[in-house]
Amino acid sequence: MEKDIADYALNYAQEKHVQYAEVRAHRTKNEQLVIKNGVLDAFVSTINSGFCVRILAKGGLGFASTNKWTKNEAKTVVDTAFKFATMAKRKDKITFAEEKGVEAKWSVPQKKKIEDIPPEQKIEELMEVDKNLSSQEGLSIPGRVIACSISLTEKYFANSENSIVTSHVPKIAPFAFITVVEDGKPEQAYKQFGRSGGWESFNEWKMTESLLHEAKVLQKLIKEGRNIKPEKMDLVCGPEVTGIAAHESCGHPTEADRILGREMSQAGRSFIYQGGSYWIGTKIGSSLVTIVDDPTVKNSYGYYEYDDEGIKARPRYLYKDGVINDFLHNRETAAKLGTRSNGSSRANSYSREAIVRMANTFLQPGDWTREEIIEDVKHGIFMQSFTEWNIDDRRFNQRYVGREAYLIENGELKHPIARPAIETSTLTWWSAVDAISKEIDYDAATCGKGDPMQGVPVYTGGPTIRLKEVYIR
Amino acid sequence: MSEVLTKTQEIVKEGLALGADEVLAKTTFGRYRQTRFSNNQVDITVAWNDYVTDVALSWKKRLVATQIRNFQDSNNIINRLFKLAKVSKENPAYGGIAEGTFKYSKPTADKNLRELENPTEYVLEALEAAKREAGGEVNAGGTLYTKYEDVYLVSSQGPIGQDARSAVELSIRAFSQIDASGHGVECCSSLKEFKPTRAGEKAGEIAKLAKNPKQGEEGKYDIIFDPLFFGSMLATWGSMASAFSVMIKLSVFVDKLGKKVASDIVTLRDNPARYSVSNHAFDDEGFPTQENTFIDHGTLKTYLHNTSTAKIFKTQTTGNAGLVQPTAWNIEMDPGDSSKDELFKQVKHGLYLTNTWYTRFQNYATGDFSTIPRDGIFLIEDGEIKQSLKDLRLSDNILRLLNQIKGISKERQHVHWWLEADPPSLSPYVLAEDIQMTRPK
Repeated sequence: MEKDIADYALNYAQEKHVQYAEVRAHRTKNEQLVIKNGVLDAFVSTINSGFCVRILAKGGLGFASTNKWTKNEAKTVVDTAFKFATMAKRKDKITFAEEKGVEAKWSVPQKKKIEDIPPEQKIEELMEVDKNLSSQEGLSIPGRVIACSISLTEKYFANSENSIVTSHVPKIAPFAFITVVEDGKPEQAYKQFGRSGGWESFNEWKMTESLLHEAKVLQKLIKEGRNIKPEKMDLVCGPEVTGIAAHESCGHPTEADRILGREMSQAGRSFIYQGGSYWIGTKIGSSLVTIVDDPTVKNSYGYYEYDDEGIKARPRYLYKDGVINDFLHNRETAAKLGTRSNGSSRANSYSREAIVRMANTFLQPGDWTREEIIEDVKHGIFMQSFTEWNIDDRRFNQRYVGREAYLIENGELKHPIARPAIETSTLTWWSAVDAISKEIDYDAATCGKGDPMQGVPVYTGGPTIRLKEVYIR
Repeated sequence: MSEVLTKTQEIVKEGLALGADEVLAKTTFGRYRQTRFSNNQVDITVAWNDYVTDVALSWKKRLVATQIRNFQDSNNIINRLFKLAKVSKENPAYGGIAEGTFKYSKPTADKNLRELENPTEYVLEALEAAKREAGGEVNAGGTLYTKYEDVYLVSSQGPIGQDARSAVELSIRAFSQIDASGHGVECCSSLKEFKPTRAGEKAGEIAKLAKNPKQGEEGKYDIIFDPLFFGSMLATWGSMASAFSVMIKLSVFVDKLGKKVASDIVTLRDNPARYSVSNHAFDDEGFPTQENTFIDHGTLKTYLHNTSTAKIFKTQTTGNAGLVQPTAWNIEMDPGDSSKDELFKQVKHGLYLTNTWYTRFQNYATGDFSTIPRDGIFLIEDGEIKQSLKDLRLSDNILRLLNQIKGISKERQHVHWWLEADPPSLSPYVLAEDIQMTRPK
């Protein structure tokens, strides 16, 4: 990364009649390994570096990026961004919420440096996971993809308000997709892992044990799984299910750009909108429900200390005590809604505009234990994990289908239930929560939004919860 | 020979000199522009220039790949890549890359798409068209995207080629009320055929019809799918036809070659023809792309292959090589013999679904899935649209859907939208019978 070229671009931009200018440079070293059914399909190793310029001028925004590090190219990029900003001709001019300039440097420490792990070790450790899966007696897993993305990202951000933020973040993100076949019937599971930090995470995940558990669950589901008679009953959700619901039906609808309509044609809008039935202060769930989005969870997959507009990260309490409490903001949305940015602006590459994103979204723990919750259910379902899921583009009508799920009768777990589904509204889901466990767990995920699509690393998570008397099919 | 092609060729030579068995290098100079708009105003216009050479190298059946972003660094990067190959693991099933020299169709890319002077003009045209249809109060947003790529490919196995690929795509979604919207797309490979008003009119027309939606009822329906909705389904079947998807069981087409997988009237082809926003003269091995009929009158005829997967399946490459895995380019559904209006007349009691998103599977091998219709959802009674509906989900099986197709329109539209209808397709109106819809409770 050539910071002098980035600085040159920023200085050149400031010579123009701009309200605001910023330059953001990324250098990402990435390795991708794909093990397909026991063989290394490919090992892809890349270094991608480039920079972008974003300019606010005459109330319009322009953005341009390049991976060519020359002063001439920097000038072209600035000229293009400036031209695009000035031709927007908006009736209501874009402004940014005020911020003071900041100088900061941050990084994520590694116990075992990714750079020190030779490629052959990475291959061996992943191949070992595959070998353990394929060699299990009495367990047929004919479809296996085990892949891993390993990245080291350096960023340099500077703006016309004297902010300079540099960062260095290592991340590891393996995932697996397995197909188990029993009696000629297939069942499938997808599992993602992910952390910010060094290679030490790889062993902490215990991937083999985790995937073997998934495979055995699928085998048992094929052999013993029964359907459920559709009716109202209690639903106990494990952290994976709680986490996806928190992400989809709290994190997304509280993204302020979505609320303001800026994502209307792709990721959609929100059930929360100005003049509508839901706004800050509106009840959205039981008083037990507090959902936070927190980028500062150490070593989390969605960890950052400063966002991509140079704003210090902090936890955001989106739903608090069952009430809509806060939105996720960047400087543009904050200005429109008369508030300050809460550091939610993220881009997944130098070539992408930073937009409002989640980091790590999770339900706060309660005071039950998982066992106490299950013991307290007379007739219901325990949904430990999910397979198919989706939600409408207002983030209100959603569905989660269980992957590992069991019948609960008189406080005891019974046989597996084949794909129980809950299809309900955001309000019904969070209003039905009447018990929350003390224990909390996180899952790594890649959140999709933006056009072009920008997948960003996040955690979803939460405790075990009970939804009282909900319709399950 | 152009300077870029010469430099791309040098990369291949460097790899061979180190001892690689095969080297592929593909240099792409991409110029991409996008205008994003919402609430009837331009939010931001974006330009990104990307200069990249994708390199794949094999040594003793070990496949490694990288990217070069500055030709001056190529020597170091290729050395590093070859070292990586040496410590990598053998893939016994690796079958190499395409060999030979080939003639390619001439590029027809539109040079006007290299540098659009004022892309916002097209956005304003589309917005005006939406307003004309739905009224001045309509609130619309979307994207205008242009692409111009110069592509230079050199393979140690013979292929050498140059291509230019262009595209212009407009996606516009119009809201007549907060819960009433329509979506239109206009996708072309050149500006000559590009008519932004068509997308704006379609979005506006559906938004107007969608006003005052009522809660939809759960049940089985005969359904007319709009080309935009059906483009998402075609993209799914196209992706599932990739041999890679089949090998990892991310497909309903596993072990179904030569078998009936769809209704007799269904013929699906993969064809990255020049009209398509995904136009390719050659694939990433330098093999000429071609039209591949993968479902012929309901029977699965082939998977989509690169050279290596073709050898595993004891067949020939279909010209679908991505750098590492085979990929679908552009899915065409053969037209039927009814008009759109005639299809509607066949429906006594059914639904017209205009768009969808968030298609997710319980099991890719069996095809159990659901997807959430968005924008206009309409009740059809006796061939006529009677009522706008909301909050319905299509919850069925994607293989069953292929078999429930009873009518296909003559009219087809080239559609591509975000990740939801990707890869692009040439998509008709389709009538499918007895499809399960569910609703939240």
